[in-house]
Amino acid sequence: MPAQHRHAPADPVTDASHAQGHSHAQGHGHAQGHGHGHAGPVLPAAPAAGDLPGSASSVPQTAPRQSRAGSRPGTRPGIRRRPGGSAPAPSDAAVWTRGLTKQYGQRRVVDQLDLLIPAGALSGFVGPNGAGKSTTLRMLLGLVRPSAGSARVLGEPVSTPDRYLGRTGAMIEGPTFHPGLSARRNLEQLALLRGVGTRASGARRSQRGRRARWERIDEVLHQVGLTSRADDRFGSYSLGMKQRLGIAAALLPRPRLLILDEPTNGLDPAGIREIRTLLRDIAGTGMTIFVSSHLLSEVEQICDHLVMIRSGRMLFQGHVADLLAAEDPRILMVPERDDDAVRLAGILGSAGLRIEIEMTDEARSVPTLVERHPVVVAHAPGGLAADINRLAMRAGITLRSIRTHRPNLEETFLKATGDVDGDLTMRGGAT
Amino acid sequence: MINAFRAEWVPLLRRRFLVGTLAAVSAVAALGAVLTIFSAGRTDFDGDPVTVSMLAVPAGIAEGLESVTILLGVVALSVTAAALAGEYSRGTLRTQLIAQPHRLRLLGGKALALALFVVLVVAVAAFVAVSLSFALAPVKGVPTDQWRSWAGMATIGRSLVNVSLGSLGYAVVGALAAVVLRSPAAAIAVGLAYALPVEMLVGRIYDPAGGWLPAHLMEIMAVGGTGHTTPWADAGLRVLAFCGVSALLTAVLFRRRDVTA
Repeated sequence: MPAQHRHAPADPVTDASHAQGHSHAQGHGHAQGHGHGHAGPVLPAAPAAGDLPGSASSVPQTAPRQSRAGSRPGTRPGIRRRPGGSAPAPSDAAVWTRGLTKQYGQRRVVDQLDLLIPAGALSGFVGPNGAGKSTTLRMLLGLVRPSAGSARVLGEPVSTPDRYLGRTGAMIEGPTFHPGLSARRNLEQLALLRGVGTRASGARRSQRGRRARWERIDEVLHQVGLTSRADDRFGSYSLGMKQRLGIAAALLPRPRLLILDEPTNGLDPAGIREIRTLLRDIAGTGMTIFVSSHLLSEVEQICDHLVMIRSGRMLFQGHVADLLAAEDPRILMVPERDDDAVRLAGILGSAGLRIEIEMTDEARSVPTLVERHPVVVAHAPGGLAADINRLAMRAGITLRSIRTHRPNLEETFLKATGDVDGDLTMRGGAT
Repeated sequence: MINAFRAEWVPLLRRRFLVGTLAAVSAVAALGAVLTIFSAGRTDFDGDPVTVSMLAVPAGIAEGLESVTILLGVVALSVTAAALAGEYSRGTLRTQLIAQPHRLRLLGGKALALALFVVLVVAVAAFVAVSLSFALAPVKGVPTDQWRSWAGMATIGRSLVNVSLGSLGYAVVGALAAVVLRSPAAAIAVGLAYALPVEMLVGRIYDPAGGWLPAHLMEIMAVGGTGHTTPWADAGLRVLAFCGVSALLTAVLFRRRDVTA
């Protein structure tokens, strides 16, 4: 099933009411915005980092639709309180955290993170290097102890990972196996640890258990396409095969939640495509997948839900479509005669559009495809391109080119994380 | 814990590791047997004379094995440190902890499997040493009648137990070094550096310390207390105390530390 069909776009009303439970994050450094985040019809303002829709300040976070059902006055829909639990968790959240923090000495690697991954979502987890993604995932898997905050995975607190890891598969920071053992033997070790086929007692039952274990190992090897190399040493595998074995290991327990950390790291385009197809297939079974990646184009293609962090803090979480819809669309024009650029800017400016002129500069390090000509940039949706063209023609200005531009996830990410300024990104992407 | 125990045998039984370890202990045991038999009529390491009649007694059958207890301890320490610290440095520990989140169960299963592995390794060493001693005894004219007696067989059994206990003591040191340092090379280097030169230096400089130095006490245990002023039982109790503290430290660190590798 295509990823975008797996979740309906978030209902703003529902999301807003649901987001009340997320107000905890407000007041932190990243919550600077005031919830505008949406472009105006003609003059959309470029959202600043932290002002993204779904950021802690303007949360239209993904609201599980079931949570609306059965709401009663005085209760928050979809919220259940657990005895002994310090915070309520939405009943259909696969992963939920409140104020999750990890601190090493004075350095906060994860800072007051409020996550909500809906059950059944294929959720991307993005952030620059050192943003705290792996540490967050490690905390969710019980490998690292949180310094503060609370977190639940599949409804269970992370302080008792044994309660949910039996239903969770994970690959953290790449596939790690014994290089001297074959894929099958490596998986057998993990299957034994997980108790696959070991609960039987007695000789015949033990044999049945062993058969069940081997069958499960064969199944996951087949699922990731490693059957033909199953008996080769792990050390002899290509990076792509290692990644696939890592995913196979994560699939061993028939998990309800799959957590993958950079599953496409170091892969060639063919390998990336293989993993993408594999993840789509797995997601089609209804499993919740939480996948961190640097490859934003991949995330944009396969994920319907997104979590974006920087310096351990939440920048955005919600539907990918919501994030991109709120981005600043632009129309880029190159007049035939350079002298007309200022005049065109004036005409469009007097029509109420926000205009910038980008003087291309060959000394700049970022390559531009529109060389040696001024580019008039109108902050306007693509639908206005024809009107703008008519305005230019009426003024006697011939356009060498006119093109619309809507930032993709990569540009949005770079802008939000502050790695590249928006204009630079826009120019690079406006080709 | 039984799952962790069974799972640990998968990497322990990988061919290269198994053949390498058994070859190493066999070589060590053979060295001990050969040097012991051929030392008849000469003096030993400490300058004491070794005679054929001394070797002909029932206890003589285990002399070859007991002469290399330190080396067997080194093997036990190295195997344990490499197995445990290797899981950290390779990153396989995090995969295993996701499969078995009960850290103490995982550690317990691993420790049990490694302990059994060490005992099996010592058994192989004993087999090689005893077999070679029988094969070489006629060369130096050492009679083996008493070796074949019940007393001789009992000596082999006792020696096997003692050497195993001594080696397990080294293994506990290896486990602690592995969990503290989380690198096989560092764990083996530090473990051996402490057990061999450091203790030897301390023992030589301040003789009474010998009765309290863990590796020295393990050596006393391994050789059944023969030739040492500290009785076997005392050495055993002290080793037990040291190992208990080490095991506790190992367990606490293993359970509480973040797995960041």
